[in-house]
Amino acid sequence: MIDVIQFLWPPFLVAVCLVGIHAYFGILVLARKVIFVDLALAQIAALGATVAFMLGHPAQSIATYGYSLAFTLFAAVLLTFTRAWGTRVPQEALIGVIYVVAAATAVLLIDRAPQGAEHLKQILTGNILTSGFSDLAVIVPLYAAVGLLHWLLRRHMTGAGSLAWEFVFYATFGIVVTSSVAIAGVLLVFSFLIIPAAIGVLFAESLWRQLAIGWVIGTLVSAAGLAASFVFDLPTGAAMVCAFGVSLALAGVLYPFLRGDRQSAVRSTVRTVRWIGAIILAGSAVQLAVAPRADQPLLDLVEGAIPSLRTLYFTRAEATTYADATEYAERYRRQAEELNERERRNRTQGQGLDDFTVARISSFLKSYGEMRRGEQFVMGEVRARARERIRWPGSLGLLACALLVAPISWRRLRRWTNKQ
Amino acid sequence: MIMLLLRSFLLVALFALAAPGFAQEQIQVVTTTTDLRSLAEAVGGDRILAVSLVPPNLDAEEYQPKPQDVLRLKNARLLVRVGLDYDLWLDRLLAQAGRPEISRGGPSYVDASFAIAVLELRGMSVGPGDGHAHGSGNPHYWLDPKNAETITANILEALARIDPPNAKTYEANRQSFLTRLNAKLTEWESKLSTLKGMPIVAYHNSWPYFARRFRLDVIGFIETKPGVPPSPSHLAEIVRDTRGRGARIVLREPHEPERDVAFVASRAGAQIVTLAASVGALPGADDYISLFDVNVSALTKAAGKR
Repeated sequence: MIDVIQFLWPPFLVAVCLVGIHAYFGILVLARKVIFVDLALAQIAALGATVAFMLGHPAQSIATYGYSLAFTLFAAVLLTFTRAWGTRVPQEALIGVIYVVAAATAVLLIDRAPQGAEHLKQILTGNILTSGFSDLAVIVPLYAAVGLLHWLLRRHMTGAGSLAWEFVFYATFGIVVTSSVAIAGVLLVFSFLIIPAAIGVLFAESLWRQLAIGWVIGTLVSAAGLAASFVFDLPTGAAMVCAFGVSLALAGVLYPFLRGDRQSAVRSTVRTVRWIGAIILAGSAVQLAVAPRADQPLLDLVEGAIPSLRTLYFTRAEATTYADATEYAERYRRQAEELNERERRNRTQGQGLDDFTVARISSFLKSYGEMRRGEQFVMGEVRARARERIRWPGSLGLLACALLVAPISWRRLRRWTNKQ
Repeated sequence: MIMLLLRSFLLVALFALAAPGFAQEQIQVVTTTTDLRSLAEAVGGDRILAVSLVPPNLDAEEYQPKPQDVLRLKNARLLVRVGLDYDLWLDRLLAQAGRPEISRGGPSYVDASFAIAVLELRGMSVGPGDGHAHGSGNPHYWLDPKNAETITANILEALARIDPPNAKTYEANRQSFLTRLNAKLTEWESKLSTLKGMPIVAYHNSWPYFARRFRLDVIGFIETKPGVPPSPSHLAEIVRDTRGRGARIVLREPHEPERDVAFVASRAGAQIVTLAASVGALPGADDYISLFDVNVSALTKAAGKR
């Protein structure tokens, strides 16, 4: 446990720094409606690094960083002008074009120098879990300097100023994104940028309040994502992105409660939930009636949670066959695992297995795999037949449940039919 | 007598005329990886012209075919693939090429994994985080030099089938290659005997065949599923194991992310050793035998540093 906290502490500090600067930029980005600008800038920076790499500079050299920076500044110039061009064509479309062309050019370059493929991937898919104090030593002064500059120029950063100020905005943003994407990856940086800012904008009017909300929410959600990735044993970056997604959804659900008429918010939430439940039930009813042998997600989910539900529609013979097949499948899996383990152990222990024995183990494993697949086929077939048998009563039952759950006013319906 | 002279003269002239054409008529062999290309060249010698679809140092499991690859398949007389779900992208390419003789079941189709004793077979994707999503077993079988006997036998059989007049040449080529390989194998085994049972951590599960042959103890992998970054608890466990069992070496292939490997190595006080899992992945690993030369010398050098 202490080990893991030691592990998660540095990534958490890095996440706090990233939230700090990105929530601020996110608010400006949302105001300018250039949501995907970070992807375009990161991709251009990666293209610059790729060019440097192809010219023979090592991956972490000053020359590579210089190329990256030069390309980013060039992209900042392009992005500055997209505002002027963006009167007829939306600015987001031009940003998208910059992104795809930069990405495709990098792929074309990499195709001529295969050893660069991994390098390119690394620039764009950082792993926040393996970030640490060496990263903090770079980003803390950098972000502090950018933050200070923006504070000094705060009057010009609204997006309404001259093109020169726009260039300053895109250039500083490019520098920030280039460093953060290398640490945390494109997906996570996008979440840091947009989600805390979006929640801030949802609940506050002034920039400082929006920022405060964004920072608090961003820090809490980062901590929750890191904790979830530890507790449920998940890849950290992906877990954090999903945590941010959930936080935005929760904010969306809470918004009417905090900002509007609470009673009507409760009513409409209940109605929505009931409609969703009814649609799922009715969909499952149709699926069971039309294709009883196909996957039944709702039934599978419920049976997975409460396996004893199968006894409701299995005959005794079916239940026995199903239980036997489950047991045998598990037995074959165990036996195969034991053989695998024996082979693995003998790689280093004792005399070592000769090639003939290894070939025998290999063919045994193949047979166990086939036998296991056979048992799984039996399980699937038994269940499919049982479901085929209860197809009509089952789907009628589900349909009845759907009607019960749906928030339909029966009185109004009757009045309407009488009128007709 | 004059007739005899004339006849022999004609015969010599005919051979002389035929010789350049003869040399041009090399058999076009397409392989998916560079390792198989090297092994096909060992059997075919100068009678064949082998090309591999995946360039060296690209991850063959994630290869994206190019239009030229279809052309290469259209001209191929023999196709050699790794199999075991390693080069799955080839199936779509074959469907596009529309050549039944080099497609599955055809006389010029060689699945080099045929008759290999496959390790870590788990039926369907049952494996508890062994780094492979497919259930056909671990596909990195060419990394056991002994398996080259089986692979070259598969290639020899197919070459003899499509070019019977030269079957004897192919057989002799293979024999001389295996003699060379076996002499080298003894050398590698004695060099790596210092690493016997030494705990080692790897980024990807590419090394079970190599580890079995040379009796190395690969105790864990950083990447548990291809393309999925490790979770914190898995990374913590790997660092704990590396430290706890005194592993001093973390294996990495050139195309694998350096950051994660460096993270584990620095936390556990181990050193990173970059090995080539395929011919051409590292400078010096130019053919099948030098591939092992490069890897063995990298490992012995790292072990010597301890």
